[in-house]
Amino acid sequence: MKLYLSLILLLPLMGSAVNAVVGRYLPRRASELLACGVIWGAFVSSLFTAFAYRGAMRVDLIDWLSAFDFQAPVSLYLDPLSLVMIVMITFVCALIHTYSVAYMADEEDYVRYFALLNLFVFAMLVLVLAENLPLLYLGWEGVGFCSYGLIGFWYSDEANATAGRKAFIVTRIGDTAFGIAIVWMFKLLGTVSITALNGMGSTLPMAAITGLGLLLLIGAMGKSAQMPLMVWLPDAMAGPTPVSALIHAATMVTAGVYLLARMFPLISPSATAMAAIAVTGGVTAFYAATCAMAQRDLKRALAYSTISQIGYMMLGVGAGAVTAATFHLLVHAFFKALLFLGAGCVIAAMHHEQDMFRMGGLAKRLPLTFWPFLAGSACLAGIPLTGGFFSKDSILAAVWLKGGALYGGLCFLGLLTALLTSIYTFRMIYIVFGGEESPGKHCESAHGGCAVPRLMDGILIPLALLGIFGGLINLPSYIGAGWLGGFFATMPGGQGIEASHSLEISLQVLAGLLALTGLGIAHYRYGGDRRREVIAAGQGDATGFEAFFLNGWRFDDLYRIIFIRPFEALAVFFWQKIDEGMIDDSLDRLASVIGRSGEGLGAWTSGRVSVYIVSFAAGAALLIAYLAWTIS
Amino acid sequence: MIVPLTHVLILAGIIFLMGLSCAIAWRSNLIMILIGIEIMLNAAMLAFVGGGAYWKLVDGQVFSLVIMALTSSEVSLALSMVVYLHRRKRTVNSDEFSAMKG
Repeated sequence: MKLYLSLILLLPLMGSAVNAVVGRYLPRRASELLACGVIWGAFVSSLFTAFAYRGAMRVDLIDWLSAFDFQAPVSLYLDPLSLVMIVMITFVCALIHTYSVAYMADEEDYVRYFALLNLFVFAMLVLVLAENLPLLYLGWEGVGFCSYGLIGFWYSDEANATAGRKAFIVTRIGDTAFGIAIVWMFKLLGTVSITALNGMGSTLPMAAITGLGLLLLIGAMGKSAQMPLMVWLPDAMAGPTPVSALIHAATMVTAGVYLLARMFPLISPSATAMAAIAVTGGVTAFYAATCAMAQRDLKRALAYSTISQIGYMMLGVGAGAVTAATFHLLVHAFFKALLFLGAGCVIAAMHHEQDMFRMGGLAKRLPLTFWPFLAGSACLAGIPLTGGFFSKDSILAAVWLKGGALYGGLCFLGLLTALLTSIYTFRMIYIVFGGEESPGKHCESAHGGCAVPRLMDGILIPLALLGIFGGLINLPSYIGAGWLGGFFATMPGGQGIEASHSLEISLQVLAGLLALTGLGIAHYRYGGDRRREVIAAGQGDATGFEAFFLNGWRFDDLYRIIFIRPFEALAVFFWQKIDEGMIDDSLDRLASVIGRSGEGLGAWTSGRVSVYIVSFAAGAALLIAYLAWTIS
Repeated sequence: MIVPLTHVLILAGIIFLMGLSCAIAWRSNLIMILIGIEIMLNAAMLAFVGGGAYWKLVDGQVFSLVIMALTSSEVSLALSMVVYLHRRKRTVNSDEFSAMKG
């Protein structure tokens, strides 16, 4: 077991190190093969781990930090939660790596790309497997760094580099809160081991648990792009599309949800913290769904849908349904990776055109992309019997069972969001794939027709199957016992909430009806000829509510007014008044006084011997006078 | 010793000041500066000899002999330089030689 776990971590790290150090001297094929091979190797190792798994266990690898009471060895913790995470992460990442080989075929700087990609996977695996919080934080920051490097991958374009910096800085706000939470936990309980902390939660006063829960929530907000720290994610679309898939599906954004699920036994006693998590998730889900309704950029629409789905997961954690949240996390990883990779195929076929209004008729031209993409959309929209339907419904059922006005309202909000999700998902489908090819943009390539490398289309198929049949891993209890629920039941906090069958069925019927209603509305608004009208109407600049939603409720502008402007004003004040006005100016004055006195003294060295003699005599006289003064 | 040390030192001081004022007063002439230096050195020698006689030590006399040797070589060198400088600019006015201006 120790060997498997070490391999899971070391293989991506090795791939990254080799590619970073000697990658440019290797032939291109070798570099690509190495990058993909290590991830597939990690996937195989995690499969072996899964088969050898007998129960929660802790594996100590090496000593790391150990000073006085503070112990943070590199030790890994394997329990159902981390096990399903590593299998999912390595599998999805391996597919994305393979896809990247085709997608980045024309990229010159592929060595940097693959080195960062491997490091990204390594950091995420460290995060998931870590047994103590400092190690988890290490992975947490590593994920942040790699996302910065990959979002700004095409850094020669100023906008991309800015997007990378924005992601880094906004998530850093959350990371600070998380760091404070770690230190506070150590101060309170004298340990940073996750298992120990989770066992000691009941010894803390309620106020401390609430505080810790809120701090962890802020940390998760940053990484998982929840309100109010969600502004970085839509801009993160500046990176290459496989990177978007990697960030959105398997790594990075799920880290926040994972953290909350991991620390759930510690923070769950605090009703306030749980309510805050649920409200954050519910409001974010609704917010992002409304924003996605108005997007024109295909990848931005998908980005908002990710924020919305992560909001569902947070809502699930807030309702105490860790199993349901993890279930949605897994299924979401599959279908969101599928959607992003499908979008990558579309974008590659359209020669890096991302505006949906300039696409069209792609269903006939790209059938191999269209059908998997449709499957992913069905999952996202929660069309009955797809994976997304079951997972989203299990979260909503958990929220409903929690009861009370707050959770009832959140459940209603979740159902409304489900309707919106269905509408914007099929809006996307109708606009991108429906209709006939738009006259402005042809997807002709040198090979004729819309050529997408066969490899890229092929990757979509296993993801589509997993997305559609993902519901099988945790079927509702009226059909059969859910595998995931049974697997998680051994974990603290993993016990599912038992809903009566009739309630569960009625909720599912309701959710299914909502999804189909959304499909109907989307068909009514964007199907057939009305698609052309919508596109014609959308040629100008968006106005009113549409512009409001297009710009993400104008949160960027709000933050610009609240934070960036005052900060800039403060920076200008310090720069011009304090630095230039006081520090520089006083130094300049001092220097000019010294310089002028130097010039004055320099005039003394006139070169005339007579002046020297007199000066010498005067100096000697002074010296003698001084000696006479002191001695007598 | 008939003459007290104080008198010797006062005389040496007077001679030194005379030499110094010679060097300062006729400072525009290199020869006069050299003469002033010689007088000051002689004042120093007198002080050494006086001190040696007072403390009954030969060191003072040894030093005055060293100074004599030093003075003779210094004067020969300095005079040869004066001759050289005179050849260059046809003058012995020290203020003319201001190439060392900082």
